[in-house]
Amino acid sequence: MRSVSSRFIRWLAAPPALALWLGACATPPKPTALVSYEDLKRDPGMEDARRRFPDLVGSSDQYGDRATKEWESNNLEDSTRAALLAEIKLKTALARNSQEQSKARLQSVTADQTKADETLASVDKDLASVTEQIKLMEKNVQAEADKKRLTEQLANDQKRANDERDKLSQQLATEEKRAAAQLALRTADTVEAGKYAAAEYGAASSMLAKADAEIKQGNWQAAQASLDVAKGRADRAAELSKPSYEQAAQATQNKARDEALARDAAALPGVAVRIERRGELQRLVIAIQDLFGRSQTTLQPGRDDALEPVARLISKYPSYPVQVVGHTDNRGKPGELIALSQARAQSVFSSLVSKGVEARRLMVSGQGPNEPIADNKSGPGRAKNSRVEIIFLYH
Amino acid sequence: MILTYRKTGTSLRIGGALVALLFTASAPLTAHADEEDDIQRQIDIQKAGASDLEHLDRSHAAAPDLQRLRDWLGAAWDLRNKHASDEAREVLERCMAQAELVRQVIAAAQLKTQVAEREAKLASTKAETDKKKKALQDAQIKKQTLDAAVSK
Repeated sequence: MRSVSSRFIRWLAAPPALALWLGACATPPKPTALVSYEDLKRDPGMEDARRRFPDLVGSSDQYGDRATKEWESNNLEDSTRAALLAEIKLKTALARNSQEQSKARLQSVTADQTKADETLASVDKDLASVTEQIKLMEKNVQAEADKKRLTEQLANDQKRANDERDKLSQQLATEEKRAAAQLALRTADTVEAGKYAAAEYGAASSMLAKADAEIKQGNWQAAQASLDVAKGRADRAAELSKPSYEQAAQATQNKARDEALARDAAALPGVAVRIERRGELQRLVIAIQDLFGRSQTTLQPGRDDALEPVARLISKYPSYPVQVVGHTDNRGKPGELIALSQARAQSVFSSLVSKGVEARRLMVSGQGPNEPIADNKSGPGRAKNSRVEIIFLYH
Repeated sequence: MILTYRKTGTSLRIGGALVALLFTASAPLTAHADEEDDIQRQIDIQKAGASDLEHLDRSHAAAPDLQRLRDWLGAAWDLRNKHASDEAREVLERCMAQAELVRQVIAAAQLKTQVAEREAKLASTKAETDKKKKALQDAQIKKQTLDAAVSK
């Protein structure tokens, strides 16, 4: 029984013992430091670092080998110490390698910077040059634009001035034409064209009114044309009216003169005045009596002076033809009486000429007893018939 | 007086012997104390150096390595306090290597920073150059346009 128990206990204890033996014989886990070192060895810069810093990396390798051996020998503390130093050396090598790389990069960047600075300076210079050129060109363009603008402005000003001048000129010309048309109308008025050439005058007035309307609208050309027509029509109206007007005016003037003559004649002392119509002619007859003694042909003394007012009257109205007609009463032979009357008329003619009357204006004749103005039976009647008549003839 | 001298001389001899005995006995202790002082001095120097390095490490590129250095210096101090001078010196040697590593890492980081700055400046210069080139191109086109306008 004891032997069975003993064998059973041995059988149970065998596996743990084996495990303990195997555990004592197996390699222990790698120290963390060694693992870190081995990880570090896989750094991409490792080979570069080895090439540049062979002593450092070599020293690291030695520590690393030692750490591995110590680990394999189960001396974990020594392995850790060696691995830490191996890691430090390797890290140092890598740091220095990094520095070398940085220095190289710095050198490259510095060179690139120099080139970039040069390029930038060159571009700056070119840009400044082009910018300056652009400024100058812009100034030129601006100057050109200013010049163009000023030229256009000047042209516009000039055009405005010309337009204004043209407008004023047109206005002035229109005003002149209007004045001319109005003058023509006023001139037509002076010959009463409204009366004697109503159509033309009316047309001229209408055209003037039309021109006034066109002037208000500023339509100078049309206004001028209308005014030209108005003037033409007014001139034509005046032309047409002139004969009629002159005729009427002459008639009026003549009438006035005739009336003045009649007034002046009536004012003469010692004469009898009458107006009569014979045919188409009017006759202002101034009968002067008692100029001659019986059967005498020379003026009685002192009677010559009675002809002085008559002579002045004839000279005052020089446009009238004047007859000097002698008349007698009926005492005597008709032929003698006619001769007597002619002689007496000639005496009066001579006296008047001597007083300044133009001889060519005077027509002398004798009617004898043929045109009595009173009854020859009585003395006063015969005295009235025995006379010399100064006759102003007119229409 | 002579007696006193004799007594005194004996006493002196005894005293001297005692002193010599004490000196001889305490010699290893004194040497050990010097060793620890030296280790302490070296630790202090390295701590100061670590502070300087930390000050230099503006980009904190070497922060883990610096921390490791400080840890090891602490460990060395502990070992020194445990009078394990040999172990302390071994740790100190590793600290020196670690300090050198920190210096190189800092230097590498500084150089990298410098490179980065220079590269940034270079990139800026290139960008400015590209910009100016574009401006130049535009200006040349404008100039051609103006030329055409003027020649009209």
